[in-house]
Amino acid sequence: MAGLNLKHIYKVYPNGTKAVNDFNMEIEDKEFIVFVGPSGCGKSTTLRMIAGLEDISAGELTIGDMIVNDVEPKDRDIAMVFQNYALYPHMTVYENIAFGLRLRKLPKDEIHRRVTEAAEILGITEYLSKKPKEMSGGQRQRVSLGRAIVREPKVMLLDEPLSNLDAKLRTQMRAEIAKLHAKLNTTFIYVTHDQIEAMTMGTRIVVMKNGFVQQIDTPKNLYNYPGNKFVAGFIGTPQMNFFEGTLKKKGEQVEINFDYSDAKVTVPYSMLYKVRPSFLNGEKKVVIGLRAENVSLDPAVVKASKAKIKVKVSHKEELGNQTLVYGDINMEGDGYTESATRIIIEAKGDTEFASGDVLEAALDIDRVHLFDKETEESILPRIPEHNFVDCDVKGGVLNFLGNSMQLPPAISCVDGKYELLIPSDAISFKGDVEVNVVSSENINGKTLVSFELGGRRMFAVAEEEVKKGKKKISVDFKRISLLKDGETAVEAMPMNVTFKGKLIKEKVVEEVEKDGKTKKAKVVKFFFGIGDAKFAAPDDMANKLISAMGVKKAFTEELRYECTPYDLNFDETGISAEVVDTVDYGKEKFAVLKIGEQTAYMLVEGNASGSVRLVPAIDKLAISIAEKDIRII
Amino acid sequence: MAKKLRSKKAVERGTNIAIYVILALISIIWLFPFFYLVIQSLRGETGTATPYFWPKEWTFNNYIKLFTDKSIFNFPKWYLTTLIISIFVTVIQTIFVLVTSYALSRMRFKMRKPLMNLMLVLGMFPGFMSMTAVYFLLKLLGLTQDMGLVGLVLVYVASSCMGYYVSKGFFDTIPKSLDEAARIDGASRHTVFIKIILPLAKPIIIYTILTAFMAPWGEYMFASLMAFGKQDYYNVAVGLKDMLDKEVADIYFTRFCAGSVIVSIPITALFFWLQKYYVEGVTGGSVKG
Repeated sequence: MAGLNLKHIYKVYPNGTKAVNDFNMEIEDKEFIVFVGPSGCGKSTTLRMIAGLEDISAGELTIGDMIVNDVEPKDRDIAMVFQNYALYPHMTVYENIAFGLRLRKLPKDEIHRRVTEAAEILGITEYLSKKPKEMSGGQRQRVSLGRAIVREPKVMLLDEPLSNLDAKLRTQMRAEIAKLHAKLNTTFIYVTHDQIEAMTMGTRIVVMKNGFVQQIDTPKNLYNYPGNKFVAGFIGTPQMNFFEGTLKKKGEQVEINFDYSDAKVTVPYSMLYKVRPSFLNGEKKVVIGLRAENVSLDPAVVKASKAKIKVKVSHKEELGNQTLVYGDINMEGDGYTESATRIIIEAKGDTEFASGDVLEAALDIDRVHLFDKETEESILPRIPEHNFVDCDVKGGVLNFLGNSMQLPPAISCVDGKYELLIPSDAISFKGDVEVNVVSSENINGKTLVSFELGGRRMFAVAEEEVKKGKKKISVDFKRISLLKDGETAVEAMPMNVTFKGKLIKEKVVEEVEKDGKTKKAKVVKFFFGIGDAKFAAPDDMANKLISAMGVKKAFTEELRYECTPYDLNFDETGISAEVVDTVDYGKEKFAVLKIGEQTAYMLVEGNASGSVRLVPAIDKLAISIAEKDIRII
Repeated sequence: MAKKLRSKKAVERGTNIAIYVILALISIIWLFPFFYLVIQSLRGETGTATPYFWPKEWTFNNYIKLFTDKSIFNFPKWYLTTLIISIFVTVIQTIFVLVTSYALSRMRFKMRKPLMNLMLVLGMFPGFMSMTAVYFLLKLLGLTQDMGLVGLVLVYVASSCMGYYVSKGFFDTIPKSLDEAARIDGASRHTVFIKIILPLAKPIIIYTILTAFMAPWGEYMFASLMAFGKQDYYNVAVGLKDMLDKEVADIYFTRFCAGSVIVSIPITALFFWLQKYYVEGVTGGSVKG
């Protein structure tokens, strides 16, 4: 029984194919985690890396409190169930189950006790003396489960265990595995390509595609808050309806225009506060996602709704208790092929529809999902990145929503009307602007606080829960941007600094103490070469890099080092840079640096100017292999 | 006009009869030389070839003399030498071949493919190409004549790994997930091989044993070279060939036939004993069938 921690796990094959990209996850003890995704998405590879059957190319895997990257599978204290059962055909069921225990040299009566107990749990007692080939698929998979549970492992790994079974048996075994999890009280990691299995069994689900983790969340949250179009389409049957279109904010209204169709609905902006502001200009293409159950043909609902569109019915699928009505929002569309206008609507089972009918359907805009058409990422995140409000600047004072704030000297712009973008994590609950906190909820470890300011709903990300009621806030001005007519007038300060360099190995003569005497000896030392400077690299960081890249490539591959403006210091031995300017954000001052081509910022006290040398805080560096974009540290 | 249909059974019977007639003919052609050999070994009259087929006088003397009359040709000694060599070669070669094939089937290492191709190509060259070189090397090591037995075992076993191909093909059919399951269950690679793979590989072990035994049992070229004309170091093939020398063939031909029959006994016995494993499929039920 133990938790797992996967940190920046990569699987790169010798030919350069990346099967798994930067897998990060903390799995808690007793969780039931499901990896789901289409074939070739890297889910099985990840599981096999956890099992130790595949090498980990880069990253760190912890089971319990031990790093197990280089630990043999047998010493990881895990058990695995395979898709094809992998029973030993020459052994009886009893021997199959006992095999692992015998190898561990457990006393005979203990083995017997555990095997019979497992057989009882799984209902295979009467088959114990049979050979696997005399059994059916379901029974074989039970034996395979039995072989795993007798070992009482810390983690149970299941690699598509039900894929070879027929539909009815699959449902039955699904329930049994869930029951087993409840009974054994151990961590389960389950791989499947079947979203129904994932949704019904997992406490948390990892959706993967092409080696990338798409989203990690509970089944409910995946369904309600998909992070991108892929997750939205993958989870849920029938598949979510996707339309293409644009959003146009007109005052306090937003107009949703559907492409390839005359359909258009207008909704109040308050329903779409969380939408990323840059998509509200009526030009950027978005994908509008609505599940079949969030579209209604019920006359009463349609009558009351303000978001109505016309649908031409093409055909229907009657499922008894409900009818899936297929149609098209384009009057020329056929409703059969999946397109940007096809719509599937869930209706009651007893409703009659004829193909060719043109009906009015009501859209539940509260449940709409919006995605960027290009990146397919959600533009309606659970935690909105920005608050988007109108403002005006007059004589260095910022006025918005009936409040005014003194702008720091760093922000200088012409007086006039602007649109203000405040990142939700740039608001802190210490300050002098009074707001009314409405709610505070925990979303994946972060706290989203919604509050009202001047009658408008706004969002902030807080470190911990904030109680409802009157609170005072302040805004971190270095993070805000001001827009004028869609063009950026004042830019937020970039929060990361990037350097390129290499890992260097050198032999250094050092005084070494040996047998009580001090001797001079050559010692291998590692350095980070960054720009024209080099910094001693701690052994553990150097070793991680070497083990990830291989001894040969470790010293030739270009590395990318990243840190924040807070992690830089001046020092004689550092990287040469030029101070171009100093900006004053009130409480903090930043030097504007020119490092080669790059412009970067760094926190300074007082003023700085001219040529300087910089030293980054080594322990805070994020290091990646530049060309392959693999983050190691 | 309706086409006349023949019953399916009649057609089947017709084809079966044709097939069995052909098979019978083939087996007669195949078995005839051996049958002739047995008949000749029981012939009482001497001489190489007789103008008649059935012997005029039947006797077991040829067999008895083969083992008792050691004055000129020491058949029992050759027989023993050959048996010892074959057993050693069988044991060592079987282990080598299985271990190599398993490694090539399961492990992935640099140069694996080139190595496999190299071994395959090298194995295609006839062994006698390197015969003289090998002989002189063994002579330097003192492994000819007196120590010829050891030398021969070395020669036969040395390149045995090159015969990995068939068994690797067999190991490839055993699902890798069995190895993986066992490794997770706590087995080392070694244990996996002994406890999981070998019990499943019976047919291929038998095949390897049979081929490993047969090769040195009937081998002539290296054996004759190694003995270098000294009868004491002959194996059966070399010895029996000597019986057919012009000067002695007239007297020893029937005895040669008897020797040949005796030589074929171990192989036949071995085959009959092991053939049931040959047929038995054992992988059924390990994974979804």
